Amino acid sequence: MNVISAVKAYVLKMTEESEPGMKVLLMDKETTSVVSMVYGQSEIQQKEVFLLERIDSANYRHSTGLRYLKCLVFLRPTAQNIEALCNELRKPKYGAYYIYFSNIIAKADIKVIAEHDEQEVVKEVQEFYMDYLAVNPHLFSVGLPVCFNGTSWISTALQRSVQGIVSLLLSLKKAPLIRYQANSSACRELAGRIDEVMNKESSLFSYGQNGQPLLLILDRRDDPITPLLNQWTYQAMVHELLTINNNRVNLLNVNPSVSKELSEVVLSAEQDIFYAKNIFMNYGEIGQNIKQLMDQFQAKAKSHQKIESISDMKNFVEAYPQFKKLSGNVTKHVTVVGELSSMVNKYYLLDVSEVEQEISSQNDHSSHLQSIKKLLNNDKVRNFDAVKLVMLYSLRYQNHSNNDIAGLINVLKKRHVSETLTKNIINLLEYAGSHARQSDLFNVENAVKITKRFFKGLSGVDNVYTQHKPLLHDTLEELVKGRLRESLYPYVGNQSNTGRPQDIIVFIVGGTTYEESLTVHSFNKSYPSFNILLGGTYVHNSTSFLEEVEYATRNTSRIHTRNIHVRFE
Amino acid sequence: MAEAIAEGFLCPICHKDLRSPGNLIAHFQDLHSEEQDILKSIKDFYGKAKKKILKLDEKDLEIFRNEVRLERYYLEYSEPQDAGQIKSHTDYYKAIRRDRLDHRTAETNKLVIRLDRLLRFYGSDRKQQEQELVAWLDGTTVTRCPSCASSFNITRRKHHCRLCGSIMCNSCSYFLTYETAQTIVAPVHTNNGSESQASESESLRICNHCLDMLECRRRVQIEQMMQPLICQLYNHLQTVKSQVQNSVETYHKVYNSLTSGERTYLLQDAQNLRTTIAKNAEILDTLSKKIASMPIEPDTPKQHNLQNSIRKATSIYIKDYLLTLPAPPTVEDLEKIRAEHAMKVVEEDYVPVMRNNIKKVTVTTGWTPTKAENESDEDPLIEQMNIVKNYIDQARQAQRFEEVVSLQENLKMLKETYMQQQRVKANEAV
Repeated sequence: MNVISAVKAYVLKMTEESEPGMKVLLMDKETTSVVSMVYGQSEIQQKEVFLLERIDSANYRHSTGLRYLKCLVFLRPTAQNIEALCNELRKPKYGAYYIYFSNIIAKADIKVIAEHDEQEVVKEVQEFYMDYLAVNPHLFSVGLPVCFNGTSWISTALQRSVQGIVSLLLSLKKAPLIRYQANSSACRELAGRIDEVMNKESSLFSYGQNGQPLLLILDRRDDPITPLLNQWTYQAMVHELLTINNNRVNLLNVNPSVSKELSEVVLSAEQDIFYAKNIFMNYGEIGQNIKQLMDQFQAKAKSHQKIESISDMKNFVEAYPQFKKLSGNVTKHVTVVGELSSMVNKYYLLDVSEVEQEISSQNDHSSHLQSIKKLLNNDKVRNFDAVKLVMLYSLRYQNHSNNDIAGLINVLKKRHVSETLTKNIINLLEYAGSHARQSDLFNVENAVKITKRFFKGLSGVDNVYTQHKPLLHDTLEELVKGRLRESLYPYVGNQSNTGRPQDIIVFIVGGTTYEESLTVHSFNKSYPSFNILLGGTYVHNSTSFLEEVEYATRNTSRIHTRNIHVRFE
Repeated sequence: MAEAIAEGFLCPICHKDLRSPGNLIAHFQDLHSEEQDILKSIKDFYGKAKKKILKLDEKDLEIFRNEVRLERYYLEYSEPQDAGQIKSHTDYYKAIRRDRLDHRTAETNKLVIRLDRLLRFYGSDRKQQEQELVAWLDGTTVTRCPSCASSFNITRRKHHCRLCGSIMCNSCSYFLTYETAQTIVAPVHTNNGSESQASESESLRICNHCLDMLECRRRVQIEQMMQPLICQLYNHLQTVKSQVQNSVETYHKVYNSLTSGERTYLLQDAQNLRTTIAKNAEILDTLSKKIASMPIEPDTPKQHNLQNSIRKATSIYIKDYLLTLPAPPTVEDLEKIRAEHAMKVVEEDYVPVMRNNIKKVTVTTGWTPTKAENESDEDPLIEQMNIVKNYIDQARQAQRFEEVVSLQENLKMLKETYMQQQRVKANEAV
């Protein structure tokens, strides 16, 4: 179960089926993301695909054609795409068309397309199921930044999620049993819809599979803590502080003085070995590894500087491609880590994170209240971090008799924190307060004595080992031990427990996080007999998570937070 | 005799080093089960030692474990995987398209056949001929032009399409020159360009609909025959690339064989191959540059991108696949490798090598006199062997290394048969 390989295999098949010749790949906005997650441009050029076109771009229709090219069409089966494709076929720009849809398409649509193909340019029409973003081998996303309206699905988002998961199952040849989080109607609905499609398309879903896989559908609202925390492993940290969007990081947003070629950097574990090796490394360790990489680079650069003989020159030319690759990676990661470390220092993120970690895993109301107040008085701490601290406090002590949520919000107001931010504290409690959760998120007995440690790393960056474990960790632990309660996570329809599943797909409605991705990865490593795949409507960082919270609660009234006496305009 | 001091996880009874406490305990349980108290003391001792060595509190141990585990967390390069489920609509699609297009194709073909006849039969009375071939529509009830709806009168007369017989006005008529018509009927003589002025006498009056169908057919035909320069260059590029690919594969084979001390290939082979690859890389480079610098018509940014893309892809290919080939070993290196290899072979196959030597000895000693005789009327086997040797030289020069290998195998077989024959003869002589 490797989603990157699954998508790669389809793309490879696409390029091979169309026989040798120069090719153009015609896609829509979403399928472009799908392909760009697994293939770099130079990589796909080696497969004779020399042009990438967008069927939905404004000037595509009036662009010139090149009849000697073969056109690989890879589109989602949407109404707009089918219309655009019909127009394309009526006046074909290219010599031959090989059409691939990313999901199940209706027969009627095939008929419409065929009727427009008057010049008989189409050679193939197939369904290749890759209607999701393959982020890492064990992580996928549907790419929906928001999916809730109030407590229920946005209907288009539900539809898109069903399509995403169905295509995922088909691409991995899995026909799983489905379990869902009992208290979430969104999970139940999604589970039911997937089951419906699987029954309707039973011939597609009939393949010999080893064992019975499981699809477990969870709700983000059961664990609102994880997406709020500052992160200290490379990928999660970059996403939290700089935001990763389809493997790309825009550095211009955080540092306008960054050089042009580094304004947007690609972080892809498939193409960047250094990134793949360090993706789950701790902040301090990355610092050390970067230093090593730089030393290596400098040694190479030095040896290149003294080109005296012909053989030196020859060696230089031979090593040049790797040299160039290495130098590109060095500057990229040095810049990224540089940005991270400057933010960590500037915004006192170590101190903020320490309190965050304490609140997430300990129960000590008065000391937590004190620590938060202390940080709120530090004007170096970002408003955003201050608000998140109050959010964590509110989630933990929501039902504590002496809680001072209102007081903290007033302190924030005095700091001139924008109202949208402070109001989001209330929004979050409405969205994922204790009423919306079924699990014991703040299990007091389990809270071990905190062991956060700050090590001085070699390159002057502190190393941080965090204490927090996402709720998903406990859920998976119970699942692999066969102890996940059926009353809390029932099966869809009449399905029932048939032994312990080896292949497990977890899908989180409302988005997953890179911290959970690491949890799943470490689970796969420590339980080699299990194979767990994680997915979500989106891969959130705290910013995007709070945007989703804000959107979901936009038109709802306060029901669960009336006891908090704060007023907003 | 001085007793050596042994250390390790020794069994106190048989003094065997068992290398780990686990093994030791297991060994003891299996073989010395009667000595239970010793077993217990081993276990106790091991437990104490463990505590002493790992005198860390649980907390530190936890962190330590975390650290060790984090070291292991990285992403491996994704192994290729079979493509998932696939559903093909191609057959259904083609069936639908066929139903729809059959009609159109039949129509077009009918028009072409008519056109052919119209062209062939021109002679005495053209108008009559035309009407015989195509039934003209009766114009008495038609008062307006069907395509532009203007009413017919003395100045706006009725005209007939010569291909389908339908009615239209003069301004809705199109003219197909005989010259163009010829190329449609017999597309072999394409003389593109030379559009002569369409005057009524040298051309056929036809309607929009018929023209559209004929034009469509003609376009497809022209596109099938025309191959722009970029395609030719690209095809050339791909041919060279696949040749290089073969050479690279062979080079790796030769290189591996050389560095593992085999004698199937010569060092010269590797060097020659490398030169060929370098030459081809240069050709690829030139070709791709040529493609990139091809003139482009204005307003075709796509073609520009395409050309640059091909150039970029080729230079990446050259850099990543061709320039990274390992250099062949030097003569000294090769000597060293071969010497090492020879040592190994002797050690491993000591006995068979000896036997071979014995064989050879008997053959040469037993047959020196007759051998001279044989040389006069050459043994067919020897002749054959010489031919094969010659072939090998030729193949080597042509860099056909697969053939070299198979020929060398042939040669070996011939040699063996020859030796056997000689031995039989020797026995007979005795």
